[in-house]
Amino acid sequence: MRLAFEERGADYLLAIKEAHGQAAPVLLRKGDDAGTMRFDVPYQMTMILTNISRFIKEGRIAVVARRCDERAIAELVKRDLLNHDNLVVIGLACSEEQIRECRCTDPCPSSADIGHCAAPAKEDQAASSIQSMPLPDRLDYWIDQFRKCNKCFGCTLNCPVCFCDDCLLEEKTFTPEKGIPPGLAFHLIRAVHLADKCVECGECERSCPSDIPLLALRKMVNQDMKRMFNYTSGDPERRSPLLTTLEGDPMEDDGDAC
Amino acid sequence: MPVDYILTTCPYCGTGCNFFLQVADGRAVGVVPCKTDETSAGSLCIKGYNAHAFVNHSDRLTHPMIREGDQLSKATWEEALQRIASEMKRISDEHGPDAIMVLASAKCTNEENYLIQKVARAAIGTNNVDHCARLCHASTVAGLLQSFGSGAMTNTIPEFENADCILVTGSNTLEAHPLIGTRILKARDKGAKVIVVDPRDTPLSRVATISMRQESGSDVAWINGMINIIISEKLHDEEFIAARTTGFDELREIVKNYTPERVKSLTGIPEDDLVSAAKMYASADKAMIAYAMGITQHSNGTNLVRALANLAMVTGNVGRESTGVNPLRGQCNVQGACDAGALPNLYPGYQSVEDAETRSKFEHAWNRKLSEKKGMALTNAFDKALTGEVKAMLIFGENPMMSDPDIGHVERAISKLEFMAVIDIFPTETVKLADVVLPAACYAEKNGTFTATDRAVRAVRKAVDPPGDARPDWQIACDLGRLLAGDGFDFASPEQVLAEMAAVAPIYGGIDYERIEEEMVRWPCPSKDHPGTKVLHTESFKIGKGVFAPIEHTPPAEETSDEYPLILTTGRNLFQFHTGTMTRRSAKLQREAAGPYVEINTEDARRLGIIDDASVRITSRRGTITLAARVTQWIRPGTIFIPFHYAEAAANRLTNNALDPTAQIPEYKVCAARLEKA
Ligand code: SF4
Ligand code: SF4
Repeated sequence: MRLAFEERGADYLLAIKEAHGQAAPVLLRKGDDAGTMRFDVPYQMTMILTNISRFIKEGRIAVVARRCDERAIAELVKRDLLNHDNLVVIGLACSEEQIRECRCTDPCPSSADIGHCAAPAKEDQAASSIQSMPLPDRLDYWIDQFRKCNKCFGCTLNCPVCFCDDCLLEEKTFTPEKGIPPGLAFHLIRAVHLADKCVECGECERSCPSDIPLLALRKMVNQDMKRMFNYTSGDPERRSPLLTTLEGDPMEDDGDAC
Repeated sequence: MPVDYILTTCPYCGTGCNFFLQVADGRAVGVVPCKTDETSAGSLCIKGYNAHAFVNHSDRLTHPMIREGDQLSKATWEEALQRIASEMKRISDEHGPDAIMVLASAKCTNEENYLIQKVARAAIGTNNVDHCARLCHASTVAGLLQSFGSGAMTNTIPEFENADCILVTGSNTLEAHPLIGTRILKARDKGAKVIVVDPRDTPLSRVATISMRQESGSDVAWINGMINIIISEKLHDEEFIAARTTGFDELREIVKNYTPERVKSLTGIPEDDLVSAAKMYASADKAMIAYAMGITQHSNGTNLVRALANLAMVTGNVGRESTGVNPLRGQCNVQGACDAGALPNLYPGYQSVEDAETRSKFEHAWNRKLSEKKGMALTNAFDKALTGEVKAMLIFGENPMMSDPDIGHVERAISKLEFMAVIDIFPTETVKLADVVLPAACYAEKNGTFTATDRAVRAVRKAVDPPGDARPDWQIACDLGRLLAGDGFDFASPEQVLAEMAAVAPIYGGIDYERIEEEMVRWPCPSKDHPGTKVLHTESFKIGKGVFAPIEHTPPAEETSDEYPLILTTGRNLFQFHTGTMTRRSAKLQREAAGPYVEINTEDARRLGIIDDASVRITSRRGTITLAARVTQWIRPGTIFIPFHYAEAAANRLTNNALDPTAQIPEYKVCAARLEKA
């Protein structure tokens, strides 16, 4: 609280606190009673922040952010979807348990204001075991996984870098209406669509009621991005290599549309 | 604060997921899942994610209305309440209090249902109070009461994840109870066997270990068949049967005749599948049964529920974690509405109105003489309106003009009434016929509690103000109670109402707001220091020993004929909810399943020359509707399916009001129909 309001001059603080025995998102103003703050439950803060910023016209918002939030914010700022001047980032270092859960290779925020940086994970067991399957089995595996999808759209709604107002993938072209599961196109187009944005926060996999290993899928695509373009999303400086012309010159557009 | 997050309970299905309503500038603008909630664990289904969408809809009722001729005109609360009270008094004086029928609602809170039944019993003086549980799980309440002594889900939602085998029947779980369905998927991923028995292929049956499609209305046959195989293979739990049950010998005699061959001829289920399923279920250490309307909505629904209870008891799958017989309740608070006594034969907490001692307890608590006669079921009330026995109805948040079987009949019955008052949030098909209409607050605009299908009592918290002059149903019920009875309705908050309910209903005895604010408590919870109960019947059954019921297969009330060769069954889809009042006003949900349709098997369609999306006419002995065909291989040949959400082609114009003799639940799942090109 003190850090946000006094040292860093924020007008609001977005954090997680204890309410009704649950971990609850909360927006606080200076002088509010924060109660018990919680740092153990990974809410997708960037997504909540983007929703809030539509309603807060003035003032700076401090947000308790993990490393993946920092990177997600960078992706949004690059596309002019968030204004960095209105933000105060309070870095939260992820616990070992959290790192294990996300198989996270980049867990340490630029300034660890809360908690201590723990060692990154080496590789994603889930992704490597899928990759070690023979190709036909791999397809069967994914088909069986995607059969479990019940179109809650939690994976898109809670995604920090899914920023289109109306998701075209939710339209009937890709997810035939009136039934579940949606076709493969929904998951595969989405995987490719996120290729230059996904920061591996793991929220899609956590939100998925059906335990579809969505983070493993994202990690596999991100590995390809790294291999093919030497690009990692969440880099505040570099523009996505997918937003260049075939000659490699940057395109005019910011890539802020679907 | 410009933006708030209010923890509350989902207003759709009985799973009871909690989530945060995001409120900005006094409006509900979004939903954020609650990561630490035991039930939803940070996930929701598409309905939950869109639960804010209808709250601000411009169709919301915002002021009371009184009928003048053909028109409903704006009135003050004072006028409208007075009008209801004076009509109720007049009709009660002229024809007796039993000429009035009160409908409570599974969309209202526990506190509201408690008050509504109290208005009926203590202010009007009749036990004629019922609600839509009659249409969904009346047979569960009756059947499980007889078999086990308690009509509720025996186990809890999180337990599905740890079962070794789950038998799902008559439940399209992934669409109707999505977050219970996904628990079943989690169990499957951990290696549990999933058996689905349903006339339609469902999203769950497609990933199940064994999927069997039975002919609608033949369920006793396959259940008895499984029990027969289990006994002949000696897979039954002799110890459990001897120690905890009665009536096994009679059961064994009856099921002997249900050989796999005979079951195949009655149900169409292949012998091998039945044998594998029986062995799979019986050899699992922890096996759960989950079922819903596909079992209950039959004219032998009570017997079907008892047959499932037989199956669980034969294998000793009751009274332990991840076992049991688990009815999945459809509405957010249908469990609570039953708990709170919105039933014609039971006071709050499932206490009989015909029992003199219980009655005197309630007479003492409410300081009033109470009727000795048990009341009328919702499904009988419309018949009685036609014959003139029922003269008035007071309807809280129900839409019988869509939800009840044979709507044509309902419409004729309503037109015979002298007076009908409806309290609702939207101008439903029923509101349009009312004499007085009162605008109610929706779940986001009031405090209270809902009880989920697994008996978890969960807080509903006010996030925004109701639109216009709308008021919460609990205040409306208090106002009416005061006008009709004088005292006994001076409650300042839902908290006080729950305190009174806890005092008279022992299963809620230890539940109060202080606890609900901080923890999830499941009834029975008899005292403040009681932790609540996850698994029922652990040591003994509520009635001592579990009772086996020898049940024979009987054909459904209506069979197919040359004129009506198809079996019509009805149900829900994922995106719409019940009569569509709320979901059809939520853009994303409406986009997914905008209009009415009928599912028909590919072969039947080819034979009748019908292509996908063609307009077809469906006729039953009661009515005709026209809608689009959806040709699919996912439904059994000879059976058609219509979701009942759509007023423009209401499935319940066709359905049969044939009733289960014990529970008075209608047979929504089977009626004979004919399909033609329109
Ligand atoms: S979160 Fe899972 S179930 Fe929901 S839409 Fe995404 S993949 Fe499907
Ligand atoms: S599963 Fe049921 S309670 Fe949970 S979000 Fe969906 S409709 Fe609401």
